[in-house]
Amino acid sequence: MHNNNSIQLKTINKSYQKGNNKVVVHNNFNLTIKSGEFVAIMGPSGLGKSTLLHLIGGLDKPTSGEVIVKGINIAKLSESALTTWRSENIGFVFQSHHLLPVLSAQANVELPLLLTPLTKKQRQQHAETALALVNMSDRAKHFPKELSGGQEQRVAIARAIVSDAQILLCDEPTGNLDRDTANEILTLLSKLNKEFGKTIVMVSHDLKVSEYVSRVIDLEQYLASDECKECKETVELNS
Amino acid sequence: MNLLYLVWRNSLRKKTRFVLTVLSVVVAFFLFTTLAGIDNALNNGITNADSLRLITSHKISMTRALPINYQQKIQITPAIEKVTYASWFGGFYQNEKNQLAVTAVEKQNYFSIFDEYQLPIAQLKNWQATRTGIIIGEEVAKKFHWQLGDIVPLSSSIWMNRDGLFTWEFIVSGIYHGKNNTTDNKKIFFQHKYFDQARAYSQNTVSWFSIKVKASANIDSVAHLIDDNFANSSSPTRTISEQVFIKEQAQQFIDMAMVIKVVLSAVFFTLLLIVCNTMMQIIRERLSEIAMMKALGFSSLSLSAQVYAESFFTLSIGALIGSLLAHLTLSNVRLMMADLLPGIAIAPQHYIHLITLIILAAAICTIFPALSIYRLAISQNLGAKA
Repeated sequence: MHNNNSIQLKTINKSYQKGNNKVVVHNNFNLTIKSGEFVAIMGPSGLGKSTLLHLIGGLDKPTSGEVIVKGINIAKLSESALTTWRSENIGFVFQSHHLLPVLSAQANVELPLLLTPLTKKQRQQHAETALALVNMSDRAKHFPKELSGGQEQRVAIARAIVSDAQILLCDEPTGNLDRDTANEILTLLSKLNKEFGKTIVMVSHDLKVSEYVSRVIDLEQYLASDECKECKETVELNS
Repeated sequence: MNLLYLVWRNSLRKKTRFVLTVLSVVVAFFLFTTLAGIDNALNNGITNADSLRLITSHKISMTRALPINYQQKIQITPAIEKVTYASWFGGFYQNEKNQLAVTAVEKQNYFSIFDEYQLPIAQLKNWQATRTGIIIGEEVAKKFHWQLGDIVPLSSSIWMNRDGLFTWEFIVSGIYHGKNNTTDNKKIFFQHKYFDQARAYSQNTVSWFSIKVKASANIDSVAHLIDDNFANSSSPTRTISEQVFIKEQAQQFIDMAMVIKVVLSAVFFTLLLIVCNTMMQIIRERLSEIAMMKALGFSSLSLSAQVYAESFFTLSIGALIGSLLAHLTLSNVRLMMADLLPGIAIAPQHYIHLITLIILAAAICTIFPALSIYRLAISQNLGAKA
């Protein structure tokens, strides 16, 4: 019923306990993202943008509902199965790039490849390719503290794509960057979407992102829409 | 790049903390290895003792002499093979810092009863024929560069000779080596007959008798028979097996070892607290990095294994340095305590204990960080905003 490469959130309920209060983040939430889309989720803080990203990436589980990514309901996967699934399918780019300060740019990019059966030489080659793709070859031996914010984010993007994950989840990747550097990063992500067919879901406050993405979801408006409340089992058939 | 490289880089991330943690490990393993060396000496002394040898000394104290003619009376006791005697000379060479274990011994039977001191028969015969001859351990020869035929003056703080001097002249007649590697190679022996004739006082007395009993004999019964012989004399005796004798001599050190063991347990407990706390601190500092690695697909088990490797690395470095320092210290202590506690050395099985201890300590130090890693919610540690 659904495209095997699409992302579908079906009837998602997500709440958590904060002291004695139950905080409801999402209530009966539905969303479909097609394969190859570059989607920006925008809106004011506190609406659950990052939570959505974490649900899609298997970093968090819904209280109820289905998270179907590439045909698998990942909400039902065990913790260990989810860990393996993440390493094979998802690339993450965080606002704080989360590069390991003790490793060079190249070693940081190689990190996800330690989970693969690749040889040391193959890992090095893959990392070099990924760094070349983000124009960071000349900084491969530099440590994060020797790089600018934009360069660090480029390395983080190289780390996200080095395993050839089809889906990139970006949590405010330009949040800490100046305008020019932010544009560079958005251009890079757009290139990865257009030239390499990556499905990209990005959470952002940056209005400029609309120039680079294929769809903008204003979460505040979307939550009030019928589309959000209707579980569209047939969305792919209609489209 | 591989995971071991990452562990290495992470370990050295905060160098001051790493050095301080390693230092605390060094102290603990220094004490552990030093104690093992002393413990080895205490146990070796007892296991090296011949179970068929008895020692007869004055009932009141070892410092009181016995008449030399007790030898004949002891010899006629049933089940006895050989009897010999000896007197403590003490002694030092040149100055009192060079203390030596010098003993005057009966020349005919002593080295057949104490066959752990081995030397060529020609040297033994030469010594027996040389009134002022000494037989020295090979470590003594090595230390002072003494050779056969050398004339060496040895001083005693107890015994004055008939010339009114405390310095006695001897000629090196033999050099012995130990039957096995735990035999004390730092002793010096000279003829009791010369000692008795040349000393200014206490003639015709000895410090103790050493007795070899027949293999078929009941050693306790023989000891009782000997002591019964002298029960009503002016010099009553106390006869005990050599094993008991060494045990009694070492008793004060065993008690000391007990104290050290208690202290050591406390040190190790503290060490575990320090290293565990350090590892917990490290995990708290790296929560976002661990969350990121989990997001990338590293399992909790893999991340815990990295923490284990880091603990193991820190403990291993500390243990290596601590053990090396203990080796250096023990080699000096060994020389200083040659008379009182021979055989201070590190037994090979100590290294098995050491490695086991490191493996266990690293495992204990990983338990709490591993629990934190398993419980860590990725989304809450990546700066998620709802």
